[in-house]
Amino acid sequence: MSDPPNSTVLSAVEASRQQASSHRGRALLASVFRALFPFTVLLGVWWGAWAIFDPPEIILVSPPTVFSAFIDAIQDGTLPTYISRSVGRLALGTLIAAAIGIPLGWLLGIDDDISSAFDPLLRFFNAVSGIAWLPAMIIWFGFTERTILVIIVYTMVFPITFNAMTGVRTIPRRYRDACRTLGAGRLRIVKEVYMPGSFPGVMTGLRLGIGFGWRALIAGEFVVGTAAGGGIGFFIFDARTQGSIRKVMAGMIVLGVLWLLADRLIFKPIEEHVNERWGAVSE
Amino acid sequence: MTVVDEVGGAAAVAPPTISAKGLSHAFTDAQTGRTVHALDDVDLEISAGEFVTVVGPSGCGKTTLLNILAGFIKPSVGEAYVNGRLIEKPGSDRGVVFQELAILPWRNVRRNISHGLEIQKVPKAEMSERVASIIELVGLTGFEHHHPHQLSGGMRQRVAVARTWVSDPEIILMDEPFAAVDAMTRLTLQEELGALTVRTGKTVFFITHSVEEAVFLGDRVIAMSARPGKIIDEVNVPVDRSERTWELMAHNEPLQETVEHVLNLVRGEAAGSREADI
Repeated sequence: MSDPPNSTVLSAVEASRQQASSHRGRALLASVFRALFPFTVLLGVWWGAWAIFDPPEIILVSPPTVFSAFIDAIQDGTLPTYISRSVGRLALGTLIAAAIGIPLGWLLGIDDDISSAFDPLLRFFNAVSGIAWLPAMIIWFGFTERTILVIIVYTMVFPITFNAMTGVRTIPRRYRDACRTLGAGRLRIVKEVYMPGSFPGVMTGLRLGIGFGWRALIAGEFVVGTAAGGGIGFFIFDARTQGSIRKVMAGMIVLGVLWLLADRLIFKPIEEHVNERWGAVSE
Repeated sequence: MTVVDEVGGAAAVAPPTISAKGLSHAFTDAQTGRTVHALDDVDLEISAGEFVTVVGPSGCGKTTLLNILAGFIKPSVGEAYVNGRLIEKPGSDRGVVFQELAILPWRNVRRNISHGLEIQKVPKAEMSERVASIIELVGLTGFEHHHPHQLSGGMRQRVAVARTWVSDPEIILMDEPFAAVDAMTRLTLQEELGALTVRTGKTVFFITHSVEEAVFLGDRVIAMSARPGKIIDEVNVPVDRSERTWELMAHNEPLQETVEHVLNLVRGEAAGSREADI
């Protein structure tokens, strides 16, 4: 681009951008259809198997039966309440885990000495999964909200920390060098290079952490049960006592669908945007 | 009369802007674990306002030399000085333009360029005035709010040059700044850089592996040998810098002869080191 920029160039850029966005719209639609196809096949196999083998209701029920169980649970208000409880817990857990994990990851990424001292310890505790802490938590905190929260925060902190650390470490060295030649001191480099430069890593960590936290949450709700006021995990676990496979399946499908929607509609687009703008630009 | 006297007097007393004596540098390659002898007994003197280019084969220690002058690394042996002060760390008196993209991807063009001024706490009004004028000078008008990922390679290097220039450092160190840019854009950027340095009278230390680029831009070309990097020879380039264009380069005999001479220095050295390897 050695020619001087002018309005013609800019309007041409704008026109091509609009064209590109309509292409993107069509491509998005196509990818949605592609993604739905395997689900449709799975649904077909399920429905076919049910029709052919005609199993007792305690083993397998048909898709419409599960759907009606889902509608019932919505209408009697349990599912909306439970979903909002679970999502609320996850959100609170994310806030706490991010407040701990992101600064910790920055510190480990910036200071090699601290990192070589604490890295093995962190990996040790990471291997002891959050769920393995459940018995201890129940002894300490009982069947409470706090037990669930500690488990999800514990689970989320590690991926957030490690990815924030990696985010700092993968910042090209020349960004730091360039800022030093502009006269930047250490504090400014932390604030203006390490913190924004680690943003892609932080986002990856949050996305992974929320995914892990969601699973830990379900396990926590299984065990803590009704004492903490329910939740989508409790919904599934409780259906077991009623021998209601239709409710169990409805709850499991809700779990998967909720996660898929959140990941595709919220986390992934944010991560991609962040990678483009904050990531290193390739030549 | 007094002005002439003052200038003459200052020149007689003041040390060269950059001076280095007996610089040698060795480091351990992190990947191979071997000791790399990058620089061997390099002496260097650069006067204020001079444009010095360094040319040599890849891995001849040119970048090591620049890193020492920038203050990123300390030489194993020897010392380097700026205006008589020992170089110990980077400073805003020495601006650096890197080979690869080193502008910050999360800042737009304007905020990348103003970064040094922000650090120096230049008042807002003055800052925006200086940034606006440099943006115009390097031909980035209309792209102030673009982010680096939205720019071509040539435009990104313009941002890098502008960011360094706007802080008005006394000395500018450039490490193959146009190596990653396409050939056509490179010619334009080289001419523009030539004009910019003539206009602003900056002292420039410019590294390249292109002999033509070294001769086109420099008052003086330093030819370096392959590792361990030594200075083979220094060549003064004829024709005033303000008159040089690529068209002139193609037809001007003294310039062509200089290119050939430097090429022979560098190639002779490269051939010699190959024989030594065998």
